[in-house]
Amino acid sequence: MSDPKIEGYEFKPGFKGMAQDTGSDQTMFKGVHWGKAMMWIFLLSDTFIFSCFLISYMKGRGSTLIDWPNTSEVFSLHVGSTPVPLLLIAIMTFVLITSSGTMALAVKYGYEKNRKMCGWLILATAIGGLTFVGMQAFEWSKLIHEGVRPWENPFGAKQFGSFFFMITGFHGTHVSIGVIFLFIYAYKTFKGHYDEEKRGWFTTMKGDYVEIEILGLYWHFVDLVWVFIFAFFYLW
Amino acid sequence: MSDEYENKTGYQAQSSETISSGGGGGSGTVPDADHVRPAEIPEQDLYHGHSFITKWIFCQDAKVIGVQYFLLATFTGIIGLILSWLMRLQLGFPEAAGFMTAEHYYQFVTMHGMIMVVYFLTALFLGGFGNYLIPLMVGSRDMVFPYLNMVSFWSFFVAVGVLLASFFVPGGPTGAGWTLYPPQAILEGTPGSGMGILLMCISLILFVAGFTMGGLNYLITILQARTRGMTLMRMPLTVWGIFTATILAMLAFPALLVGGLMMTLDNVLGTSFFMPTILKAGEVLEYGGGSPILFQHLFWFFGHPEVYIVALPAFGIVSDLISVHARKNIFGYRMMVWAIVGIGGLSFFVWAHHMYVSGMNPWFGFFFATTTLIIAIPTAMKVYNWILTLWRGNIRLNVVMLWCLGFIVTFVNGGITGLFLGNVTVDVPLSDTYFVIAHFHMVMGIAPLMVIMGAVYHWFPLVAGRFLDEKLGKWHFWLTFLGAYSIYFPMHYLGFIGVPRRYFEMYDSPYVTSAVGMNEFISVAAFIVGAAQLILIYNIIRTLKIGKPAGHNPWQANSLEWLTPSVPPEHGNWGEKLPVVHRWPYDFSVPGAKEDFITQTTPPSEVAETEVEKT
Amino acid sequence: MSSMSEKEQSTTHKIGIYLWIWGLLFVLSFFSYMVDWYQFQGLLRWSLILLFMFLKAGLIMAFFMHLFWERYALVNVLLWPMTAIGCFVFLMVAEFQYTVFTRLFYFVVGGQ
Repeated sequence: MSDPKIEGYEFKPGFKGMAQDTGSDQTMFKGVHWGKAMMWIFLLSDTFIFSCFLISYMKGRGSTLIDWPNTSEVFSLHVGSTPVPLLLIAIMTFVLITSSGTMALAVKYGYEKNRKMCGWLILATAIGGLTFVGMQAFEWSKLIHEGVRPWENPFGAKQFGSFFFMITGFHGTHVSIGVIFLFIYAYKTFKGHYDEEKRGWFTTMKGDYVEIEILGLYWHFVDLVWVFIFAFFYLW
Repeated sequence: MSDEYENKTGYQAQSSETISSGGGGGSGTVPDADHVRPAEIPEQDLYHGHSFITKWIFCQDAKVIGVQYFLLATFTGIIGLILSWLMRLQLGFPEAAGFMTAEHYYQFVTMHGMIMVVYFLTALFLGGFGNYLIPLMVGSRDMVFPYLNMVSFWSFFVAVGVLLASFFVPGGPTGAGWTLYPPQAILEGTPGSGMGILLMCISLILFVAGFTMGGLNYLITILQARTRGMTLMRMPLTVWGIFTATILAMLAFPALLVGGLMMTLDNVLGTSFFMPTILKAGEVLEYGGGSPILFQHLFWFFGHPEVYIVALPAFGIVSDLISVHARKNIFGYRMMVWAIVGIGGLSFFVWAHHMYVSGMNPWFGFFFATTTLIIAIPTAMKVYNWILTLWRGNIRLNVVMLWCLGFIVTFVNGGITGLFLGNVTVDVPLSDTYFVIAHFHMVMGIAPLMVIMGAVYHWFPLVAGRFLDEKLGKWHFWLTFLGAYSIYFPMHYLGFIGVPRRYFEMYDSPYVTSAVGMNEFISVAAFIVGAAQLILIYNIIRTLKIGKPAGHNPWQANSLEWLTPSVPPEHGNWGEKLPVVHRWPYDFSVPGAKEDFITQTTPPSEVAETEVEKT
Repeated sequence: MSSMSEKEQSTTHKIGIYLWIWGLLFVLSFFSYMVDWYQFQGLLRWSLILLFMFLKAGLIMAFFMHLFWERYALVNVLLWPMTAIGCFVFLMVAEFQYTVFTRLFYFVVGGQ
């Protein structure tokens, strides 16, 4: 996004621009839609939620005296008869990154007012998200089958099961909410609500393709969180 | 739904006319000095309710939502007050409180603390004053997401409902203390360890969810929906205080949410996040390997910013009240702003000073004592600036000013005892005594409450169009102020002689003899102060019927909320045209000016001969 | 707000940059998977995990979430609060080490 044009306001680049924007009247984030600014602040708050989860996990895992299970064994899948460590997790990561990429393209095509392309890409993102949730459900059922519960864990420290189900569950909830909204937005895009500036169901604001970017921010954030969960929970 | 939106093209045409008038068009009389950049953002579309339900109950007008928040928070606050009466009855006159068991006492302590901190003060300052004042003070038509704002209030409503429901479930509300420390909070033997704590956690999670919706509204309104000419450094300090407190809340409540969720899982599913191996009556419980101190860290990572969530709006509001009623610009406005922001930032780095005796890593004491004492610097700056604002001011000693003065005194008192408690070595003997009770009630109970009272007397003419009665107000103030001092000042002494907090009774301890009389005295004072609040309620009801009409801008204030075309302001706040701001809100007693105040919307050309501050 | 975003719409980015970032994310994920595959241990494992993690996070934030093109006023507001998280992490590392120490000291050493 290059700077928007605002009557009577000259943009300065870099830190000078930061000082000027902050000190100006009306808006601090020049040209940023209300909804987009809100989503950013919400994501900041959500970052703190996930950080608290991961910090708790670190504290819990670090201070237990019982051995933590070896994640690359616990999360391995058998291909034929050879166990492949973290196979499912790797596939899930790739699926989520793929859906993040399609979302980024959807935002691009949205701004170019390419309704068809945008709609199909959002739909592809939604299907990617759904696949991710499905695979997570498979992973959960596999672990539950092996006897891991939130309150017990046959492979070692109890907290393993607790933190696993809580953190992936909370992340999965985010993904599921995202998928629901992706389907709604795909519908709205195909219907042309953003071209017609039709008002949303609960809002007084006119429809606009910026809403796709707002949803995109949320979706990329979900992907971002998974990057951290992948590193800290599965690779540690 | 679309037919319910009024066509605002008329408004838009109006505002674009004023824009072009800056260049010499329109009326053709606007001098260059008065030119303000045109509006960046088109007019906001508002949803206008038509029925009683959409106008007053599920209302999307921030002002109505503010009043709703105010009333509901006050209602829960009164419940908290009654609980404190019951506690004081037990402590002062145990023989009269025969109906109370130790379990009851702990439940009342817990609910009193939680209600007062979260459901009363936080909701009142941010939900009540925030909703009412932010759009008016920054010059917007409403909050930026009115629907979300409405959901925020009803979420709070449900949270209060769930909280109060815990009084009626088997086992009663939780009695774990407002800090809800595990493992005892969810172990049998603590009152309300089953349903009580569960409902408490659910209620908190609902509150956080609702508050997040409201908080996003406050922040984006302040950042992205100010009127023309309103820069951040021209905002009243009230808005700065609420703004910074909201940022703190958005970043601190997540820790409470996570802690509450994990404790709920420990309680319901039997996970062991916070539960170590526990031996109970010779029997090893299912739990094992968890970390109780983790909850304390999570709780206080929320809990300390929470103190400032309550304090910062109070700081902001009192600055405005003092400035208006001393007819003098606020001393060191920029310093005040940076102090608010600095206190807010630092508040995330001090949380474990609540945990000096918890058995955490010993070197934390050094870190947290240092950061805690650093916070004293911006806080002291603020106190000096309030006093210097009063210095040689044209003070109107009305009820509002009395509350402000009361605030300064109580706040300084509570702040100084904070220096004792911030130092590890001094804190260790004083921990968990009545000294702590005295400290935090002074600094974040009574002091913000004084500001709330002052703010009620100050803004009531705006909300209702009538003045509250001064004589009744003075009775209310003196009874509350002197009474509150009689309650909390002796508590410092109780703390020094070692009376522990959260004790149901003192049993046969050596300090009983010296503490009994004092406890009775404190209790009597507490009953009187509580009853004195009825004066305010009476005053409000009486004023609504026969109060003196206030008219426009009754205090001769400068800030935008007093400059609306109609009093009380209507939905949309500004009628046809949004105001245009030319200065900060503190131009009082400017040399050379005709009147002793210059409103924010007065254009520079009208006051060319005066020595106004450049803002 | 609609008139504002109309101006924005004229300036979207070439598709190439998204495909590049997409490809890089796949490669980095593959690398971090390889860290586990080859069972690197100790400091090497940790530094590689963190390196790939922060690179991925940075790419997603900078390009997919457009932060690279946003004005500094927004970026600044978003990044400062991370210091609080950093402080929390740092202190909790110290805390869990101390907890392990006390547990070993009182339950294991003291038990013998």
